[in-house]
Amino acid sequence: MKFAIALFAPPHAPSSRRALRFAQAALAGGHEIVRLFFYQDAVHNASSNVVSAQDELDIPGEWRDLVRQQQLDGVVCIAAALRRGILNEQEAQRYERRTGNLDAPWELSGLGQLHEAAQTVDRLVCFGGP
Amino acid sequence: MSKSLLIISRQPPWAGPSAREALDIALAGGAFDLPLAMLFLDDGVFQLAPAQQPSALQQKDLGANLQALPLFGVESLYASARSLQERGLDQQTLTLAVEVLDDAALIALIDRYDQVITL
Amino acid sequence: MATLHVLSHSPFSDSRLSSCLRLLGPADGLLLCGDAVYALQPGTAQRQALDLMPAAIGLFALDEDLCARALAAPPRVQVVDYPGFVELSCRFDKVNSWL
Repeated sequence: MKFAIALFAPPHAPSSRRALRFAQAALAGGHEIVRLFFYQDAVHNASSNVVSAQDELDIPGEWRDLVRQQQLDGVVCIAAALRRGILNEQEAQRYERRTGNLDAPWELSGLGQLHEAAQTVDRLVCFGGP
Repeated sequence: MSKSLLIISRQPPWAGPSAREALDIALAGGAFDLPLAMLFLDDGVFQLAPAQQPSALQQKDLGANLQALPLFGVESLYASARSLQERGLDQQTLTLAVEVLDDAALIALIDRYDQVITL
Repeated sequence: MATLHVLSHSPFSDSRLSSCLRLLGPADGLLLCGDAVYALQPGTAQRQALDLMPAAIGLFALDEDLCARALAAPPRVQVVDYPGFVELSCRFDKVNSWL
């Protein structure tokens, strides 16, 4: 089956880790993930600046590795990201911020990408909250 | 044929960006002409309460954006009868033209849609 | 169409479980994960509400969340791992997570 996974919670929320494990299980089961879409506080999962303690999970790092290794389409909602201080270099320059904190493999884009994915897939699965 | 999407909005209007961000999903889908509906459930019905003054909290008028839903082609708008009744809201005074449904009708509504996002 | 509802909030501090129970269709399923597994705590009204759900409604719980909280699943609950969660999302026509 084709899946779209939409995440609404920040990296320290249990649902972020749950979404990651679900995504890994879906891929291991031979399914396809058409897109990951990060909305609301989930945009922080794409931050390059999250520092996890050595003995703690690095959820942003795990997401980044998953997207790279599996060549997934990892999209971060631009409106949600800007509001929460997650900017790539282009947006940082546009808004005259000192530096960006969102890098490849993440793309900033609009809610249209969520809708496009939802139209394409067999299952849209959302994760958020605890 | 397009897949239909039901957006269930459960958050009250002034609890951070959640109500606005739910609405944005609906408006974005409407802009793409997708078959969408929006259901106001639980505290989400407070978004429809009359005489609100968001400027008191220095917030943008969510109500004005809700009014834009039909303009964006999202005309299937619903509210939970139970949620309204629990919160003392009168159907007649809501700021948006919604169809008020009881639980049985809501079950049938949810069942009809290809996808659901509840936030 | 049958919907898999997914809950992750504790039912003691949050109204999602009670709202969800009122909106379950006859062939729907309910997956408890995160703090929602506390609904299985014996001797509670929440557990009783789940016990009283029609037998046709599938009740599922994520294994890691039960284990972390030392909760036992009653016989009617099907305990799933992540591959099981994926399979459920395929088995039901759509997934409705109560975010």
